[in-house]
Amino acid sequence: MEIHIHLVSLVTETTLAVFLIWIIVSYNFLIRKRNKVLAGWSGIDVELKRRHDLVPNLVSTARGYMQHEREVLENVTQARSQAVSAGNNVAARSAAEATLGLALSQVFAKSENYPALRAVESMNLLQEQLASTENRIAYARQFYNDAVRQYNTAQASFPRNLISGMLGFSPAVLFSSGDADRAVPSAQITP
Amino acid sequence: MPADSNPATARFALSPEDRETFYAAQRRNRRATWRLSLLCVIAAVIMGLPLTLILTPLFYFLMMVAAEIINQASPLPTAFWETMHTLARQAAALSQNLSNSRPVDPNLLISGLLVLFVPGIMFSLAVWIGVRALFRSGGIGGGLLAMQAREPDQRNLKELQLADAAQEMAIAAGLPAPRVLLIEADAANAAAIGSSPNDACIVVTRRLLDDLNREELQAVLANLIGSIGNGDLSIAFTVASVFESCGMLVTLINAPFGPKARGALWNILKYVFRRDPGGTRGAAADTVAALLCRNLELGHDDIEQLFDSGRKPNIFLKLVRLVFYPILWTDIAVQLTLWMFVSMMLGPCIALLWRTRQYLADASAIQLTRNPDSLASALEKMEQDRGPLPGTSWAAHLFVVGPGSSPSRSLPPRDQMQPAAAAWTKMGGNVPASVMSGAALSASDMQQLRTEMISTVRAASQGDAQARARMMMFSHFMASQRHETAKPASSTSSEGIQANSILPFHPPLKRRLKHLQRMGAHVSADAIGKTSVALRVFTLVLWLIIGPLLAVAAVLMLVVIAMVIMLNLMLMAVWLAAIHGLFGLLGTP
Repeated sequence: MEIHIHLVSLVTETTLAVFLIWIIVSYNFLIRKRNKVLAGWSGIDVELKRRHDLVPNLVSTARGYMQHEREVLENVTQARSQAVSAGNNVAARSAAEATLGLALSQVFAKSENYPALRAVESMNLLQEQLASTENRIAYARQFYNDAVRQYNTAQASFPRNLISGMLGFSPAVLFSSGDADRAVPSAQITP
Repeated sequence: MPADSNPATARFALSPEDRETFYAAQRRNRRATWRLSLLCVIAAVIMGLPLTLILTPLFYFLMMVAAEIINQASPLPTAFWETMHTLARQAAALSQNLSNSRPVDPNLLISGLLVLFVPGIMFSLAVWIGVRALFRSGGIGGGLLAMQAREPDQRNLKELQLADAAQEMAIAAGLPAPRVLLIEADAANAAAIGSSPNDACIVVTRRLLDDLNREELQAVLANLIGSIGNGDLSIAFTVASVFESCGMLVTLINAPFGPKARGALWNILKYVFRRDPGGTRGAAADTVAALLCRNLELGHDDIEQLFDSGRKPNIFLKLVRLVFYPILWTDIAVQLTLWMFVSMMLGPCIALLWRTRQYLADASAIQLTRNPDSLASALEKMEQDRGPLPGTSWAAHLFVVGPGSSPSRSLPPRDQMQPAAAAWTKMGGNVPASVMSGAALSASDMQQLRTEMISTVRAASQGDAQARARMMMFSHFMASQRHETAKPASSTSSEGIQANSILPFHPPLKRRLKHLQRMGAHVSADAIGKTSVALRVFTLVLWLIIGPLLAVAAVLMLVVIAMVIMLNLMLMAVWLAAIHGLFGLLGTP
């Protein structure tokens, strides 16, 4: 009888220890995934800011040549200031950034009509910089969205889904491709 | 990608059910890496067995000689001599039991093996750790110096694109942006060098920028950054240090004989005991670069110089030769063993391991760019422009495609492209208007020209008479245009540490393209062309004949090594006895 009790207590203790270890491992695993998501978000943020910084340069370079497209350039400046003031709200931010992207592409479309502007070396370099920034935003978004997918899968898969909510993890939101009409529902990214 | 009208060059992708996602490919290659690293460890252990059998007697020999000399000055405690006698008696008993195939006392066996193997293993490990520490402290600066790498020019559009593309891929991989450097070389190639993701550096030849468009450049950079993210740099570091340790071992044993080995050792010592970390950074880097460039040199001529010098041996030289005779045999045995086991066993295992890392890097590149086509076409172009890369032999295995091949197949670089384009037009090519007007070639024009030339070369190789005639005329014209580029084809595809393996470190392009096709790339049929049945049967028969011959040669080689080891042991015993007797005579008066 005594041996039996001893065995039972041993089994319970072992199960409890295994369970605790599993919780610790899962928690650390989820934390790693969440940190990757946060790093991805800050990566997107950096690149969006980089685009904001390039816009004034572009406007000042193009202004001298594109006398008749004042409106297009003003659109860009306006869209930039809206995007800067949008802050960390994903919905507002992605809408504003989409408008800015559209305005920028219009500038480059219009600049095709100005051979003098196309010949300016600094304009070509600026265009490469902006094209690269667009790429960077796209790649940062790819990294972020991959991280979000992994993080959400890690949370939702059984049996981790039983404890992830209790440990204070919640699903992260994907960053939309930037189309204003497909903007994600209002969500705030908080560390 | 639009399908080509010519069926021979048409590109096609696999149907969805035959595909493999890049995540699956990455997992598969990671597993393969584990399996092969296990194989490498086993190969290293097997190689270590004969090596310790050679090194341990040398160790005891040197210890005994030292003990005899010290004993002459101040007598050693008797306990030392007794231990030595017990050890020797144990070894003798063990060898007698083994040679008579009598059952061996397990205690005796274990102690005997410990006595035999521990000194050799300790010595090899010490050399390996020393070499690792040396290269880690040296960094990659010296190697970059040897390559003559330079920073990209921010005002040049192509070079700005390179820097941008590298940063984009680093963002996609979530890594710190690596340093990007350019080298001028007549080849389109790129490499990631360094020892960790934090000090990683990407080296690109200027020719690569001229050959590839932006998408392809991005794919190549994604391959390199993916490889950095996969931790290939530390694997490459370990691989290189293993080969360098083998070289170091030979150098150490050679040191008593010749100026070359002594010079190398002296440089290392100078570098290790240098006490000014800031000042002579450049000189230190040079030393390490020289060390890196030196690979496992078999057939060291130092020792042969001592024994085979042309001049008539005088009595002193004869005496020196006599004294060093046992070490000569050790040296020969070490070199034979290393050559045999490294090139036949450890080298190929490591080459296969490295190949899985490259497939993994390809899969990672597709994860980063989501564009398998650009990587496939970039690899095809780089394969066509594989030229020699001066000053990079120590890093040859780090490049995306194996450097060094026939430059005859490659197309002229950019500054020679203008006359080439004009010539091409004269031969009836379909060339952009800018060439006719004499304006500067734009990148897209050059691209068009290139694709056209490549398709003509392909058509010519498939027997199209018209295309062949056109290529002939063109090559005649170009040969008359540039005399200086008519250098002979250097087909040394194995450089640096790759020279130590009979198997190249880079997977063949065909197999790489096949893997890319499984991940969704559109690949032309003749790029991964199926080998004909007749050729396969021929290769099979050839291997059936050569295989047994090779096996016999390997067994003979092993026998030779065993005999050299035996001879080595006997000689040492004789010399030891002679030395003991000599000192005994000196001691009696």
